Amino acid sequence: MTFEEIHETYWPKVYRQCMGYMNDHDAAKDIAQETFIKVWQQLPKFRNESSISTWIFRIAVNTCLRQLDKDKKMPKSELPLEISEKKSINNEPQVQFLYQYISELPEIERIIITLELEDLKQKEIAKIVGLSESNVRVKIHRIKEKLTRKFQKNGR
Amino acid sequence: MVDNINFKKLWDKQQIEIPETKELIKKANKFKKNTFYKLVIANALLVITSIFIGFVWYYYQPRFMITKIGLIICIIAMIIYLAFHNTLTPLLLKNNLELDAKLQLKQLLMLKEKQRFQQTYLLNIYFILLSLGLSLYMYEYVAKMTLSWAIISYGIVLFWVGLNAFYFRPKILKKQQAKLNILITRFKELNEQLID
Repeated sequence: MTFEEIHETYWPKVYRQCMGYMNDHDAAKDIAQETFIKVWQQLPKFRNESSISTWIFRIAVNTCLRQLDKDKKMPKSELPLEISEKKSINNEPQVQFLYQYISELPEIERIIITLELEDLKQKEIAKIVGLSESNVRVKIHRIKEKLTRKFQKNGR
Repeated sequence: MVDNINFKKLWDKQQIEIPETKELIKKANKFKKNTFYKLVIANALLVITSIFIGFVWYYYQPRFMITKIGLIICIIAMIIYLAFHNTLTPLLLKNNLELDAKLQLKQLLMLKEKQRFQQTYLLNIYFILLSLGLSLYMYEYVAKMTLSWAIISYGIVLFWVGLNAFYFRPKILKKQQAKLNILITRFKELNEQLID
């Protein structure tokens, strides 16, 4: 796969993953960009030991987790709703709520559910975060319950 | 009541703009250059300072052994500081990004703890060596002065050294440590979320 192809195929996936993690379009774009810069730099060294999607998502997830090292701003999920909504006026409310609720979860849960929603196999998710497959399965189940409760509580 | 929400369907509706690949590659190159230049500048400063010290040595021909030792200690102080800077910076920037999240966080935590330890240790050594080197170096020239000038000269230098050691150094350290401590706590929290 050339970088152009990778960029085209994976940008939307990585972008959504970052968006679920940050719930902020600018931040998501920055992290996605950082991820692809790393992908571009490391691509010549990539050996097919793992699948390309595992490799790319590992870089994306680790880049998300490393934001702690730089991020001085308050996470968007802690801001009042009106402010965090302004950025994503183009999306329908249900979509916005989903991304908002995800971004309110603990970091690792955010990562697991965003990868699940990107249709990654549980085995692959386990390889990306470093947990066992069964643990990932249990976690996904609980996270979905949590999200459903959040939707119900807010009557959506 | 909503029981069966199709998260996947909502998830995919997120709107996305895809940037141009060319733009991305341009940015990647710029980023690479910036990191490289930062290292080059730090090292160039050391080389220039060393050349300057070498020039002083050659031009003024110090006669006392103590003066030469002073100069050497100053150079050693700078070399130690830079050697550390040169090895740690790439480590911090390095891409253990290809590991799984759990391993990456563990490594990051180790690195940050190492950094916390070395920051204190290294900055102390740097200040001690630099002050010592400077005081030794001065002796030959101060010895030729009258007593009152000698006292004034040493007084000024010691005041400057003291100001750095007891005012600026703790201040810098406190700031760096506070930042690192917060990070370490946060990384530890993340690690706990990853216990199987």
